[in-house]
Amino acid sequence: MRACTLRDRAWSPYVAGILIGLLQVPAFLLIDTALGASSSYVTVGGSLAALIDPAVTQIAYVAKHITPTAKNWWQVALVVGIALGAMISMSLSGARRKAISPIWARALGTSSPTVRYLVAFGAGFLMLFGARLADGCTSGHGISGMAQLAVSSTIAVAFMFVGGIATAFLLLRRI
Amino acid sequence: MSLLQAILIGLAMGIVFGIALEKSRVFEPGMIVGQMQMRNFIMLKVFLTAVATGAVVLAALHGFGLIKLAPKATFFAADVLGGIVLGAGIALAGACPGTVLAQVGVGYRDAIFTLIGGLFGAMAFSYAEPTLAPLLLSGGPGKLTLMSFIDLPYWMLALGFAALLVVALVGLEKWRPWRADLGADVDGDFAPARRAAETSASRFKPAE
Repeated sequence: MRACTLRDRAWSPYVAGILIGLLQVPAFLLIDTALGASSSYVTVGGSLAALIDPAVTQIAYVAKHITPTAKNWWQVALVVGIALGAMISMSLSGARRKAISPIWARALGTSSPTVRYLVAFGAGFLMLFGARLADGCTSGHGISGMAQLAVSSTIAVAFMFVGGIATAFLLLRRI
Repeated sequence: MSLLQAILIGLAMGIVFGIALEKSRVFEPGMIVGQMQMRNFIMLKVFLTAVATGAVVLAALHGFGLIKLAPKATFFAADVLGGIVLGAGIALAGACPGTVLAQVGVGYRDAIFTLIGGLFGAMAFSYAEPTLAPLLLSGGPGKLTLMSFIDLPYWMLALGFAALLVVALVGLEKWRPWRADLGADVDGDFAPARRAAETSASRFKPAE
């Protein structure tokens, strides 16, 4: 088996999964937290909303997330880093992407970009509303919570797949 | 730990995370929708490998007393409802809250709309939180873990769980090798329907 390099187009899912799992070491040792992504949407969204509606900072939940603590802004930096890492990785492999993945024309039954953008907006809304209600997403509940053997995370992940599979079969066409 | 240090550490870790998401192809909408339609298993493989690896490293760190665990509290209704809504969003976005950033990074334009929708969703929840909290996010059994039911140390149970996941992954890989799920442009796109549609549109209908 040859070594993985940054110029490769694809790595084994096992190599990538191990690399992601190892990120728990600096997360726990340096930041005293577990890998997660969805809280950062409250940190950024709350900070932006406060510009228009200063009263939003009166909500304890928002105040807790927008406070300039290491944990809050570490996670914002983490998700910004994800965008940078993916950009670097794809440019090194020389792959190019269209504005919209070709699977959407089939999954949505139309190649209209407007339809896709509207669905994407609604999907993002549901994704973060659900993640915040469950108190975690695929990272916080999935990767981190299940590794910690948490009951809440196991329930949330099981129902995440229930909701995802039902939606993909009922609302999307076969890709 | 200063705020600046935390941000620099976050950026560095995020870049590694982003490279892993991009190289594994799990950030592609084709992989996520394919997984939810049970015809592509790269997402499950990356996900379960990350869980198993996390369990092993946390077992070691916790076993040697270097860290405290931080499991989330259990609220049955919120975990079930939130999980279902999150899953529906993931299927329609073709992304998770973290991988949508990788999609933005490689230039998927619809991912920008997913991201903005996500910010609105997070804020809608924040405004609703004071109302929802007494209904869905109070009481509950607290921070339940497997250790609440089995009287063994975390490191033992975590290593056992990781071993089970490895067995499951070996079986999954035997049944379905990962390379078979990549697709020609490594985006999980297999396009049978599209090719058929283009062919039938450009020709007369064949005689029956």
